[in-house]
Amino acid sequence: MSDVKIEGFELKPGFKGMAEDTGSDQTMFKGVQWGKVMMWIFLLSDTFVFSCFLISYMKGRASTVVDWPNTSEVFSLHVGSVPVPLLLIAIMTFVLITSSGTMALAVKYGYEKNRKMCGWLILATAIGGLTFVGMQVFEWSKLIHEGVRPWENPFGAKQFGSYFFMITGFHGFHVSIGVIFLFIYAYKTFAGHFDKEKRGWFTTMKGGYVEIEILGLYWHFVDLVWVFIFAFFYLW
Amino acid sequence: MSDEYNQQNTPLEAQSSETMSGSSGTPSKDIDYVRPAEIPEQDLYHGHSFITKWVFCQDAKIIGVQYFLTAVFTGVVGLILSWLMRLQLGYPELVPFITAEHYYQFVTMHGMIMVVYFLTALFLGGFGNYLIPLMVGARDMVFPYVNMISFWMFFIAVCVLMASFFVPGGPTGAGWTLYPPQAILPGTPGANMGIILMLISLSLFVIGFTMGGLNYIITILQARTRGMTLMRMPLTIWGIFTATALAMLAFPALLVSCIMMTLDKLLETSFFMPSILQAGEVLSYEGGSPVLFQHLFWFFGHPEVYIVALPAFGIVSDLISVHARKNIFGYRMMVWAIVGIGGLSFFVWAHHMYVSGMNPWFGFFFATTTLIIAVPTALKVYNWIITLFKANIRMNTVMLFCLGFIVTFVNGGITGIFLGNVAVDIPLSDTYFVIAHFHMVMGIAPLMVIMGAVYHWFPLVTGRMLSEKLGKWHFWFTFLGAYSIYFPMHYLGFIGVPRRYFEMYDSPYVTSAVGMNEFITLAALIVGFSQLIFIYNIVTSLKIGKPAGKNPWKANSLEWLTPDVPPTHGNWGEKLPVIYRWPYDFNVPGAKEDYITQTTPPSEVINAEVEKT
Amino acid sequence: MDDTINLTFWIGGGVFILVCLFMVYCILKFSYKEGRKVEYKPEDHKLEKILTIATTVGVIALLAPGLIVYNNYINTPKNALQVEVNAWQWGWQYRLPGEDGILGTAQVAKITDDNPFGMNLDDPNGKDDILIQDDVLHLKTDRPVKILLRSLDVLHNYYVPQFRAKMDAIPGIISYYWFEPNKIGEYEVLCAEYCGVGHYAMRAKVIVENEDNYENWIKEQETFSDLIAKQENNKLKTTLVAQNND
Repeated sequence: MSDVKIEGFELKPGFKGMAEDTGSDQTMFKGVQWGKVMMWIFLLSDTFVFSCFLISYMKGRASTVVDWPNTSEVFSLHVGSVPVPLLLIAIMTFVLITSSGTMALAVKYGYEKNRKMCGWLILATAIGGLTFVGMQVFEWSKLIHEGVRPWENPFGAKQFGSYFFMITGFHGFHVSIGVIFLFIYAYKTFAGHFDKEKRGWFTTMKGGYVEIEILGLYWHFVDLVWVFIFAFFYLW
Repeated sequence: MSDEYNQQNTPLEAQSSETMSGSSGTPSKDIDYVRPAEIPEQDLYHGHSFITKWVFCQDAKIIGVQYFLTAVFTGVVGLILSWLMRLQLGYPELVPFITAEHYYQFVTMHGMIMVVYFLTALFLGGFGNYLIPLMVGARDMVFPYVNMISFWMFFIAVCVLMASFFVPGGPTGAGWTLYPPQAILPGTPGANMGIILMLISLSLFVIGFTMGGLNYIITILQARTRGMTLMRMPLTIWGIFTATALAMLAFPALLVSCIMMTLDKLLETSFFMPSILQAGEVLSYEGGSPVLFQHLFWFFGHPEVYIVALPAFGIVSDLISVHARKNIFGYRMMVWAIVGIGGLSFFVWAHHMYVSGMNPWFGFFFATTTLIIAVPTALKVYNWIITLFKANIRMNTVMLFCLGFIVTFVNGGITGIFLGNVAVDIPLSDTYFVIAHFHMVMGIAPLMVIMGAVYHWFPLVTGRMLSEKLGKWHFWFTFLGAYSIYFPMHYLGFIGVPRRYFEMYDSPYVTSAVGMNEFITLAALIVGFSQLIFIYNIVTSLKIGKPAGKNPWKANSLEWLTPDVPPTHGNWGEKLPVIYRWPYDFNVPGAKEDYITQTTPPSEVINAEVEKT
Repeated sequence: MDDTINLTFWIGGGVFILVCLFMVYCILKFSYKEGRKVEYKPEDHKLEKILTIATTVGVIALLAPGLIVYNNYINTPKNALQVEVNAWQWGWQYRLPGEDGILGTAQVAKITDDNPFGMNLDDPNGKDDILIQDDVLHLKTDRPVKILLRSLDVLHNYYVPQFRAKMDAIPGIISYYWFEPNKIGEYEVLCAEYCGVGHYAMRAKVIVENEDNYENWIKEQETFSDLIAKQENNKLKTTLVAQNND
């Protein structure tokens, strides 16, 4: 994707090139599809949503009247009778990051027009996402079983339950949406919609493998957000 | 579309799309050169049935009109609510059904409707949708389907908002800022269904707006026509673009605060709720922070002010330039001022919170940033009035509204300096001075622009002119009336009358406010009714207005240069326009006419001493 | 503070009038005439620079005194009398620190009918606190007062227009401000932060008086230990009455 050719325009590297692209006519991001720009800007907006959530969480955690629960105990998993802190989360994070890897490969094979490989990798990503959501459901039910609710928390500050369920829930919602789209795209890839440049439902524009990259952007973003949630909730 | 790829030119000249200094060059083919098209033509959806053409329509122009009409409807509701409020304040107990509960519900709904559902939707949804594709030379928005969904989301949001008038307990009466804890506690009217519907409606609005906003931004960045550089866009587009960018970054804070407050209400989480004793009982809340909500709200709320103001700045610059027959003075500076104001607006939010109990040391920082923002704003004002200097001013309705805007805006801006300066703000905050300030600066001033813009672009949308005579009556009633409403409020603020008071009773020091309140109420009624002139003008002109023809104002910008006026689906007929200059070449020395349109190639105006743009 | 308002008023008003006059001049001088020669000058860097600098100077002239005044506003003088204002829907009550000059700690969750301020019973500092369950507050003239604000339910704001000062009372936080009353008289207190249906009726009174009258007033007020003692008495009485009835 890096070697876009634009007739009558020379793309220059670095800051100067950026300034020149900005000052030129027609497009600011040369050779970038509309859909891709849209995803980037949407993700920027979404970054602000998650930032607001996480900053509120930090503020809330810093100003509670009751102590915050000891996270390494609350989130530990018992293997036999030994509590292992962060075990489940480590697996969850590993699964999600791996799915990011398969997504990146899917994009690569997509641009190589390797339909089969691309499809299987998208499917693998979707299953990774689904596993993640499944494990999150397990963790939620474990905490709920132990008496943690959005409105109360036996281990300490009430806000722990509220922020935890709200933010992981909001993130899980993002993952779930991503999973649904991954399944749809896996189908579309196998059915050859991108090879045939089949027009989408929502738009009359021609389809193409770039759509997989756009979905990939979203998926990587969701992973990146998880890394922050992981750091702020489980490691702090 | 395809033939535009065929023009062969050497790559070296290709870079110099800006080499069209008409003054000195000899006429040759090269001075008209514009780079070939980069992106293939957009495939448009063509609706055939009534429903796909007019209801679930994917044409940005019609979506713009839909937004406009919906927003105006909510605006009329807001206007009626303001009358009811004023009646209570001017003549207490005259209208028996206005109780304190109702009064506060009116206050809340009036504020929320006017700021979010009226002004934001009108400027970005209405003018943005109609003008962006036309002014940058695109066939439509880049994602017409998403654009359609955006409108219908907004429509649902409005329906939910209106539904809250009919639920048990009525709409929320928490004040438009919806400060917790009171917003969701029983001491406030509409603390059950009312507030929940309000929060849902706001969330829907944010979602719908995000879809629209993505469209506006990407159309402006990625779908301009050949020759249209960012620095050749009309200031209207710059204003709308910056406002949309602000909205994309500010609305997330609103969404998050809405979600958190909904959870506080429904699940009794304690995000914003500390321990509270109400009616002798300690509630189950504990340890939350009400000030956090205020930070989130104003992180949205302050950029929101500029989301309303920046498109108004942009539009008024264009209107002034066209009707003064002179280029806008300091275009570059105007652009940088818009962008600068937009950027700074994210660092000033806590000036709404000087007396909110946050750490008082923040006051120094936010007072400084707030007054810094006054500099680019003042520069814009200078540039508007310098544009009038040595110009050729058509004193028509549009120009009157523009001048009205400058007067109100300068007034509101200067009172803004009072309120931004923390020491001056402390005695004045939460008084009528604040009411006067924000109604001047983000109520009346943008309204003046909206009305001017309607008089200006009505011929484009409908092909007929509005009546000038009625327009002037409308202007004078609105302008003088609005001034009679808000100017006295400054005085009320100075003597310390607090805002959001259902009734002043017999406070000893506000006796002078009584007569003034009656006067303000009368003025408000007159201004409201004088809008009927406007509506009458629009309705009759649709049928019997003078046909406008092409480009009745002799403007330069692209929206007037479509092959069909009013523009049809796809805007540009066969071929997209090619742009050679900025939209402000009025009265260029050496040119035959007093305007040179953006599509006029340099070779046609050889003698004009155009400055490079 | 009034000086900063006046300064802003005159500078701002001056700018407003200048802008309007310039506009009127332009309208009169340059209204539409066919074929008028119009200046074509897209940019004038020198003029723009002058205007930028002039505006910046003006803004600094307004901001700098404002910040100095604000610095005084947030730094309470050491000799300030403390008064704690408790706000609730919809009314006010006050607490003074008593002889030791220190207010005892208090919590919303501890509030009961017998303990209307939610005082911490274990805190010795609270024993001599003077509790005023009435909305009239008396103050000494020419002595700075530090108002500490607590709210039991929602946001309120203790605002006396004549004192030029205000601050929100926030549940869960103690906010403060200070002022120095110097004119004997009665003043009306208004709530200046919307707090629900009764917002407009949430009034109170401040009486500024000379030292002697103030001391007399203070002596009549009840301390926390008085209150407890009284309640103990009452309880005893009621139990006695109950026993007699048996």
